[in-house]
Amino acid sequence: MALLKMEEWYDLARETNWTPGYVSSEELYPKPMSNNFDIPLEKWEAFDEPYKSTYRDYVSAQRDKDVGAYSVKAALARADFFKNASPHWKALLALHFSAVCWAEFHSASAFARMTRFSQSPGMRNMATFGTLDEIRHGQIQIYFAYEFLKHDAVFDWCHKSSKTENWIIISLRHALDDIAHTRDATSAAIMLNMGLELAFTNLQFVALSADAAKCGDHSFATMLQSIQTDEARHAQIGEPIVRIMVENGKKKEAQQLVEIAFWRMWKQFSALSGIGMDYYTPLEHRENSLKDFMEEWVIGQFGRTVEALGLDLPWYWDILKEDISSFHHANQIGVYAYRATEWWRPIAGTSPAEREWLEEKYPGWNETYGKCWDVISENIRNGDYEKTVPAPPPLICNMCGLEVIGTAGDQWNAVNHHVDIEDRRYHFCSEPCKWIFEIEPERYKGHKSIIDRVFDGTIGPEPDDFYNYMGQTEAERGTDGYNYRWVDGYDDEEEGKKKYGTG
Amino acid sequence: MADFPLAVNLQGDYGYKVIVVDDQNTISEVIQTCIDQIVGVFVAPFPEGAVLRARVHGAEVPLANNLKVSDANFIQMEALQVYVEQAQ
Repeated sequence: MALLKMEEWYDLARETNWTPGYVSSEELYPKPMSNNFDIPLEKWEAFDEPYKSTYRDYVSAQRDKDVGAYSVKAALARADFFKNASPHWKALLALHFSAVCWAEFHSASAFARMTRFSQSPGMRNMATFGTLDEIRHGQIQIYFAYEFLKHDAVFDWCHKSSKTENWIIISLRHALDDIAHTRDATSAAIMLNMGLELAFTNLQFVALSADAAKCGDHSFATMLQSIQTDEARHAQIGEPIVRIMVENGKKKEAQQLVEIAFWRMWKQFSALSGIGMDYYTPLEHRENSLKDFMEEWVIGQFGRTVEALGLDLPWYWDILKEDISSFHHANQIGVYAYRATEWWRPIAGTSPAEREWLEEKYPGWNETYGKCWDVISENIRNGDYEKTVPAPPPLICNMCGLEVIGTAGDQWNAVNHHVDIEDRRYHFCSEPCKWIFEIEPERYKGHKSIIDRVFDGTIGPEPDDFYNYMGQTEAERGTDGYNYRWVDGYDDEEEGKKKYGTG
Repeated sequence: MADFPLAVNLQGDYGYKVIVVDDQNTISEVIQTCIDQIVGVFVAPFPEGAVLRARVHGAEVPLANNLKVSDANFIQMEALQVYVEQAQ
């Protein structure tokens, strides 16, 4: 039993610091790893995190969370949920787990860097818990996904994907490497905690959790909620750092770090959560669209947080407000059409009823992106399945690694931004992607998109060369999740036999 | 004669596609390659009589149809738009 109450010793423990005696401060906190932005140590020592926890309390709370999450999973293990789930939900689970598991686990490295190299002892404390959180998040999600492996080998990609050169993984890995794994501890904290976690994890973990519960996937919903409680705590590391930076004349530096990270992660979440929410969540269980959620939680709430910290709204905020209604719709066309390049079974998500929902949530959808789907649908009705697979590859953005897209159909608007360096053309999907590149071209110019690798000879000329390069055997190339049985509505009689929950 | 990749966005399509043409091809032939690969896949056939032109992204005027790729001063992966010319 503790002899002292936490409030009697906590501040002493979290604020304890020392002047190094065996090495210099510069050797203990080298700038490439630590970066104090020339702010004096006593200012960093004022770091004050909103949520405070001791190790004892952390262990106790996390144990309770794990008991909760794992016991729900165990209770539902015999429900055969996955076997009875719709292809929509299976696609969503495959996409989430294979993209997120390793990303979480890799984040432990970034938090460990903060643990070791943060100037502030309070931040080192919080980052210690953050490191443990991310190890937990990697492991719990790998463990939950493992259950599905016996039903579908696609879940092998939960472990495998980060080690491949699949174009989607190149995109995600490049973004995370940029903001978290190749930055000093201070910059990584701002970018990861503010630009990713505070801004976007509600999208993937709260909104998706609500949809999962509606679909009857209580195991997944509980897991996501459990993870998000950790995110809410360790994402708070970024805010005090930004305050210290702003108060000490480094607003411009903090602003740029947030702006780079936010846009990079917006592009990733627009694909992951945008396609997940607007196309892969079964229609009858959908509530909010990506746009609804972004407007409330990101443009609204996160925007207010940014301003409350003394920063300005990112310069591209108006571009973002347009992007939330467009980018993921165009991407979904490409994700479906180029489905063989993905390792899961993509869903079109554009049956007549689904198109009505999309039109309601995104007025004008049918006259724009819907026009491409009209052509795809007509080919399927005519049995011309080979025409649903395009011959030419898409142009890929040299920053976000996703397609360079614009508005389709009747409001056609081609979008292209580019930079020429040393006789090489770099293409970008948006002004902010181009802006990020131009901040530090030396940092980014050596990277090659999957398409660059096709045309510079890195990837051989045969179709199998392309898939082999991306780590996909023939069995691992995506096919239509409904085998084209969606064009005029789903086969209700057959799908109706499938149950979403324990039934 | 050598392969030359171009990034093209055909009117109505949702984004750019990379097509490979021969550098001795004319712009007319580039347009035809674009039509062959994208019409009926992402874009519905154009109305009969529609005249398609190509222009460098951001340019006001179209490229001459008989201009060869090798003479057009393109950089590899130059971004072109292929669009329906409005009747005068």
